[in-house]
Amino acid sequence: MGRRATLTLAVLVLAAVGLLPLAGMLGRSLVVEGRLSLASYEGLLASGRQWTLVRHSFALAAWTTILATAAGLPLGILLGRTDLPLRHVFVLLFSIPLAAPPYVTAVSWLAILGRQGLLATSLGPAVAGWTATQFFGLPGCALVLVATFLPIPMLLAMVHSRTVNPRLEEAGRLVTGWTEVLRRITVPLILPGVLLAATLVFLLSLGEFGVPMYLRYDVFPVESFTQFSAFLNFGAATAAAAPLAVVTFVLLGLEWGLLRREIRHIQPRPEGEAPPQIALGKARRPVFCAVTALGVLLVVLPFAALFIQSASPGVYLEALTRAADSLLRSLTYAALGASLLVLLGGLLGYLIHTRALPFWRGADLMTLLLFAMPGSVLGIGLVSLWNRPGTSFIYATPVIILLGYLAQYTALTSRITVGALAQIPAAMEEAAQVAGAGWWRRMVWIVAPLARQGLMAAWLVAFIFCLRDLGISMLVYPPGRDTLPVRTFTLMANSPAHLIAALCVILIAATLVPLGLLGMIWKRSGGFRGSA
Amino acid sequence: MLAAAACRSSRPATVVAYVSEDQVFSEPILKDFEKQTGIAVKAVFDTEEAKSTGVMNRLLAEKGNPQADVYWANEPVRAELLKQQGLSSPYRSPNAEGIPATFQDPDGHWTGFSARARVLIVNKGLAAKPDSILAYTDPRWKGKGVIANLLFGTTTAATAALFTTWGDERTKAFLEAMKKNGVKISTSNGESADLVASGEFGFALADSDDAVSRTRQGKPVEMVYPDQQEGGVGSFIVPNAVVLIKGGPNPESARRLIDYLLSKETERKLAFADCAQIPLHAGVETPPDLKRIENLKTMPVNYAEVARKMQEIQPFLKTWVGY
Repeated sequence: MGRRATLTLAVLVLAAVGLLPLAGMLGRSLVVEGRLSLASYEGLLASGRQWTLVRHSFALAAWTTILATAAGLPLGILLGRTDLPLRHVFVLLFSIPLAAPPYVTAVSWLAILGRQGLLATSLGPAVAGWTATQFFGLPGCALVLVATFLPIPMLLAMVHSRTVNPRLEEAGRLVTGWTEVLRRITVPLILPGVLLAATLVFLLSLGEFGVPMYLRYDVFPVESFTQFSAFLNFGAATAAAAPLAVVTFVLLGLEWGLLRREIRHIQPRPEGEAPPQIALGKARRPVFCAVTALGVLLVVLPFAALFIQSASPGVYLEALTRAADSLLRSLTYAALGASLLVLLGGLLGYLIHTRALPFWRGADLMTLLLFAMPGSVLGIGLVSLWNRPGTSFIYATPVIILLGYLAQYTALTSRITVGALAQIPAAMEEAAQVAGAGWWRRMVWIVAPLARQGLMAAWLVAFIFCLRDLGISMLVYPPGRDTLPVRTFTLMANSPAHLIAALCVILIAATLVPLGLLGMIWKRSGGFRGSA
Repeated sequence: MLAAAACRSSRPATVVAYVSEDQVFSEPILKDFEKQTGIAVKAVFDTEEAKSTGVMNRLLAEKGNPQADVYWANEPVRAELLKQQGLSSPYRSPNAEGIPATFQDPDGHWTGFSARARVLIVNKGLAAKPDSILAYTDPRWKGKGVIANLLFGTTTAATAALFTTWGDERTKAFLEAMKKNGVKISTSNGESADLVASGEFGFALADSDDAVSRTRQGKPVEMVYPDQQEGGVGSFIVPNAVVLIKGGPNPESARRLIDYLLSKETERKLAFADCAQIPLHAGVETPPDLKRIENLKTMPVNYAEVARKMQEIQPFLKTWVGY
């Protein structure tokens, strides 16, 4: 199979896996009492409540994006380029919240800020009452989501700042200091990566359901969910997801308009040329203290509360007894899902990067649209599409979960692949082509090895997102085959707090241990050398 | 065909159960069933946090090709909804004998067992103790009452039950008076119970398991069964309900699981678990902090009527809540 056929097939696979269920849901929303009708959509923006949802959704997404990017960009440069002590420890520390489902972070903060939290026991009920009121609303949701998504701009800024051609920075250093060089040369050059991070954070915050639901803050995904749960109204639930689709179109339009031309101006760092390290000098200690304080506030404090709540071997034994099978399944599904996502996202990323087919923009849009959709909408769509007697081998097995992962998370691996491919000179593939190598040969022996670190990063990110997935897994997991996030969530109702805390800790460890091992292997095989 | 039948018969017996009752309470019961019968239970659990959306939506979405054999609902209104949607099959378990007819579908599509009651959770520091839901409209308790969102869960069912018992006019007037008397809307019965336990509010109408768990945790609250006096409307009872799914893959194992869930032994276990559910069979042993069903004045309702009413009053409730 040649390039054209393979890439077309990849687009068709994603359309079948993701777009068909969505089209099914859209179709259902347009049929009311057996007739074609727009009734499900007529309520949108027609009432005060709808405008409240708009205001809440955008306020949460905007605050999360602004704060996470404002903190993540400098943090990424500090950890990626400077001589700050304990950089690897900080990278791991700040990445912990991203590795866990966001509701785990919310649960851990509740252990501090809740009415019965640690603050209540140390400062009294009056202070705790005020903090609990703030926590259950926009400030609490933003706090949890900033901590959760901060690693995205941080890691992308880190990686991109190491890909900047050092000769450009050195030229700048001849006339000014590092602060000015970073402001005028480095940051503008990594802007596409930063804006990609901001786009991802915005979409993830806008589509986030678990945290606003847990902290009782009405946003569109919660509305969509409520339409399912309280009113069993599939049409209205799909309609409530429509604003998310509109926002995706707008964001993508902005991104295409503003960035695509810019990306081509970046001159990647030549192979083998290390980026110069920035010496912090006198600022080293205060910067170290500031980064430590941020790490303690955003990560150590809430997760320590989880440890304190669950600090007993008996509790962990009970948690493992209840959830060991779910843990093993989660790891297996996540590993399989990540591998499939790298394959599909890799091919689509190649298509988007090379613009090899005229519908490359459509493929890009499709991945992001699916990424922005609430898991509940995709989940119900998958059930409706695949639950048929002839497709039991899909629906009644974990294959349905893998399809859900492919539908929702391909944007992550395709976008990371685009970034990785941007670092590979096109001449390498062209030379192999001139020498007579077929497309598959070029992909396997030239492109994939050169982009291996980017593909590995894509696998790791996909693994994390599959492992922490709740929205889709919750709706489609085959009976008796739940995942750990699902089991933790279903056990939350009326289970003792220490058991839930232990399950959350196990979930975090389940993500970090394999990631740590892979990170060590990665480092031994050459570490970051500039792939996105 | 013979080979296929032989292959099928050699497969270990299985039953697929979709469960809305909290996993922490339902899973041990299902494990006991597995141990006792050798039938493997493959379960899909739901959660109160998710307002039971996963399981109910899955059942509806799977209507054309059912995957579940049994639905263990945590209240009968959802079970009734399944009947109305044509998703359930009638089954009269021999173990249903002794369960009052009020808690069974007359056509056998669902059978109730192990119930919660709607009770008042009252803070011990409150000077005057309310003993009726009318306290919500009484100026003596102005601003002291809290109740979970009327659009969700057992609070919706209990409100619909009032509509069927008192009639539309009286219930609407009661709800409007509640508002005027400064009732606070919380997001769940659990939150209502916590707000009363912390002293921020004086009382809340919630489920008996919410009250029992707080009293067992040593919180300064007490549980009051409301409207037990002469002329009182009684306490609304929310039984679990078990449903045989129409066209499910393992009907024989499903019937055995239903029999097990409706047994007195299961009711005894659920009474002594932290969910403290009231057995519906008379004479089943209960812990001291739980009233037996025969000693309770219960609200006389028809659950099918409550389910229909619940859908009918949705527009009114949405307006009332400000949705």
